[in-house]
Amino acid sequence: MPAMKFRAWLALVAGILPASLAAIVLFLAIYSWPAMHFNGLGFVARDTWNLGNLYADPIMRHGVQIQPGATYGILFLIVGTLLSTLIALAIALPMGVGAAIFLAEAVPARLRMWISFLVELLMAIPSVVFGLWGYVVVIPFLGQHLYPLIAHSLGKAIPFFGEPTGSGYGLLTAGIVLSLMIVPIIAATLRDALVSQPTSLREAALGLGATRFEALWKVMLPGTRKTLIGATFLALGRALGETMAVLMVSGNALNYLPHRIYDPVSTMAAFIVSQLDSALQDPSGLAVRSLAEIAFVLAIISIVVNALARLLLLVWNNSQRSVVV
Amino acid sequence: MSMKSGLARRRGSLILAATLAICTTVGAHAASAQQRLLETGSSLLYPLFNLWVPVYTKAHPGVQITTQSTGSGTGISEAVSGIAQIGASDAYMSNPLVRMHPTMLNIPLAISSQMINYNVPGLNRMHLKLSGPVLAAMYSGHVRFWDDPMIARLNPGVRLPHKQIVLVHRTDGSGDTFIFTQYLSFSTPAWNDSVSYGTTVSWPAVEGGIGAEGNPGMVNACKGTPYSVAYIGISYKQATEHAGLGEAAIENRAGKFVMANPGTVQSAVNATSAHTPRDERISLIFAPGANSYPIINYEYAIVNARQPNAATAGALREFFNWALSPTEGNSERFMKQVGFVALPPSIVALSKAQVARIQ
Amino acid sequence: MTVLAPAHRTVHQIRLSRRLASLTGWTLSAACLLALSVLMVWILAVVCVRGLGAMKLSLLTTITQGSGGGLLNAIEGTLVLSGAALLLAVPFGVAAGIYSAEYRFTRWATTIRFLADVLVGVPSIVIGYFGYVGMVEWLGWNFSLAAGAIALAIISLPYICRTTELALRQVSNDLRDAAYSLGANDRRVILGVCLPAALPGILTGILLALAVSVGETAPLLYTAGWSNYMWDGHLTHSPVGYLTYAIWTFINEPFASANALAYAAALLVTGFVLVINIIARFVLDRRARR
Repeated sequence: MPAMKFRAWLALVAGILPASLAAIVLFLAIYSWPAMHFNGLGFVARDTWNLGNLYADPIMRHGVQIQPGATYGILFLIVGTLLSTLIALAIALPMGVGAAIFLAEAVPARLRMWISFLVELLMAIPSVVFGLWGYVVVIPFLGQHLYPLIAHSLGKAIPFFGEPTGSGYGLLTAGIVLSLMIVPIIAATLRDALVSQPTSLREAALGLGATRFEALWKVMLPGTRKTLIGATFLALGRALGETMAVLMVSGNALNYLPHRIYDPVSTMAAFIVSQLDSALQDPSGLAVRSLAEIAFVLAIISIVVNALARLLLLVWNNSQRSVVV
Repeated sequence: MSMKSGLARRRGSLILAATLAICTTVGAHAASAQQRLLETGSSLLYPLFNLWVPVYTKAHPGVQITTQSTGSGTGISEAVSGIAQIGASDAYMSNPLVRMHPTMLNIPLAISSQMINYNVPGLNRMHLKLSGPVLAAMYSGHVRFWDDPMIARLNPGVRLPHKQIVLVHRTDGSGDTFIFTQYLSFSTPAWNDSVSYGTTVSWPAVEGGIGAEGNPGMVNACKGTPYSVAYIGISYKQATEHAGLGEAAIENRAGKFVMANPGTVQSAVNATSAHTPRDERISLIFAPGANSYPIINYEYAIVNARQPNAATAGALREFFNWALSPTEGNSERFMKQVGFVALPPSIVALSKAQVARIQ
Repeated sequence: MTVLAPAHRTVHQIRLSRRLASLTGWTLSAACLLALSVLMVWILAVVCVRGLGAMKLSLLTTITQGSGGGLLNAIEGTLVLSGAALLLAVPFGVAAGIYSAEYRFTRWATTIRFLADVLVGVPSIVIGYFGYVGMVEWLGWNFSLAAGAIALAIISLPYICRTTELALRQVSNDLRDAAYSLGANDRRVILGVCLPAALPGILTGILLALAVSVGETAPLLYTAGWSNYMWDGHLTHSPVGYLTYAIWTFINEPFASANALAYAAALLVTGFVLVINIIARFVLDRRARR
């Protein structure tokens, strides 16, 4: 039957998409297997990334050829990734919610389209352009003006915000730049959800004597809670994997955990870019495979986070709109 | 790491043919008859290549040379894997790498030196004195403030600020890291035992330390960060001066504090170059002599002696012979602009002998 | 700002503290939106002012020389890379989109839809690293158009798939029923009736995927490499330049000529991406809704 043939053919061609995802994960897993074997579970618990003595002869350890002194641990990367993502979310979440509220409820319909578009354009700006902006404008501004101010006011109470404020390259800067990149995801998704809430809800609340803001805050917003959680997960996924902008503003710390919010950090994604050429120097080849292990871990984390987000949106969200971010 | 066997190629072209069948019309685009060479690696050599290439390609229109500043690590690895024809590196290949890839040549093209720069507001005009042990103590995190007694002892009478030192190091695999850590290793046994040297080392965890990409990144990071210290190749001297960074006088093996200039570099070359072996892999760091600058090195081109075809090999030989010639590439007009020193005649002869092996 | 707070009817007596709280709420949310808009305009202004300041005609007509010269090679490279990525991704992405829309209740369609959403979230550097160890090293293609374009194609796939699916879903079922009742089979209904009806929506998705490709950096660094020269027509063993590389590398150089290249490249990339988005939004989207 030609109809079945068409469908089977279509299914096959469509299969390239799942196949490429599977290929990426499988390939990285197989490629990094010797590194996983050597590094063990301590990989995520140690905070030393040391290629060993590259100018010495390789030795055998646990059946794997390594350079003397080589240990691979990425705790400082995991901490850097998580902290920068958390800071980004802490800024982006209130900001996105606020912007979405005002867009959905207070901006006149004609203007709304334009401002929404402006906000969504922020999503389209390439990561490296954010990095350029951060590198050229934001770092000097934050490092010289804002951070000393924060340290002066907050620093006495909370040591984490205290002096020295450093150079402007660092955790807080990375978080701030990241937050801008993910705000539109939250704002756009939530605005859509707010707009699609039934108006009867609001009218009922107003009828009970609530102010318009109370109706929004206590009645409409809780109704979009699930969408908001889903969108937050999406934003989280994006922030975890963001590379270029972080690479350009984070200060690329190596082997230490940040003690202050201004300290340089590095993230898993940025580290892969900045360390590949060093890794290629390793005659045992283990460094390149350990980087592949980071890529694999990052892939798994982002797959889990995104899958969760989509499941939440899929199961909870009644609105027809499907978000392609 | 880089299996370039015929099998891999065949497998590659098979899969390529399958997936890219749709692109073949685009790919049929006539290939140019020009010989293309890719130079990648050391950001220290990059300014010199950028001076060389326009002059050379003007006289040799059949050759196109792409220059790329990526770091010596990339230079070595991409030359080994055949991605680049010329790998630029401030570091020679390690013994295990040479054993794994016996056809790779390490050809010195010039002599470079490295500055220790700092950004201490108010002190950038003078040349603070620093020594290997003090730098090692700074980079190990034992000396955390600019007014530490260790620094003050070397700089009597200088009002050093009580400000935390911000250490800047390279994140990419770098020949500058190699020669800097070699200087620390050769001058300070404790550093040699703990961190040692390499194009990438595991920097001791010191809070606030910044990683920077390439020499350009080092200049920018040091410029933008008050109270920082960085190691920067001499070919960025114009940039460091423009940025208003301080340049330290460095203690040499004889215990004298010297600055990098053609005289002190030449003196170090004279003291060490005679020991250069035939494969030219040797460190020139921490040379003896009262006037010798301690951090100098050969700038290497990492090249595979066995090229895929005679045309590429010929183009490479011709280019290197031009670059090594004292009247062409190694002439004062190029060297002076980047602060390098030309190779002595005996080393030029060794390098040319290696160039002749490129087939 | 507070003036913007909408007037609300007070049916009952509302206590002052509640009104104050409401006012604060509106003010804060207005401040959020304002801050967001200001930041957006700030970024664009930095890119435009610095980019226009650096822009010269010669940048568009000459190739890069070291850390100076022009961007012609990078402009061409960006177009070739993104174009090749689209050529690869469109057939597969559209097919996947068709399948997950037209057979949407099958398990395979659900799987594809779900995995497309997951693939969108895989960091581009992971795909780039896969490209490096898989194509550049293992297959031995070296830095090349093929490796770069395939990496970009994988990134574009889910965008094209999902927008195609959404566009097809908006095609009215009446249209399908009518076509089936005339005796058409799946292939003719989908390719002959639904696809043309959904075309503007599909084109929007393709354009947005193009914008993503043009703006990508991380997956190209270790797959396409970089070249100072124009693309030589080879699919493998020949690196290709692209604009985002110029932004990343040349902003880091301490030379004004290099920084100028970075700013100009940023202007070109941002301009291109924004124009694509505006076209997608205001031309195609509107037609799709009609």
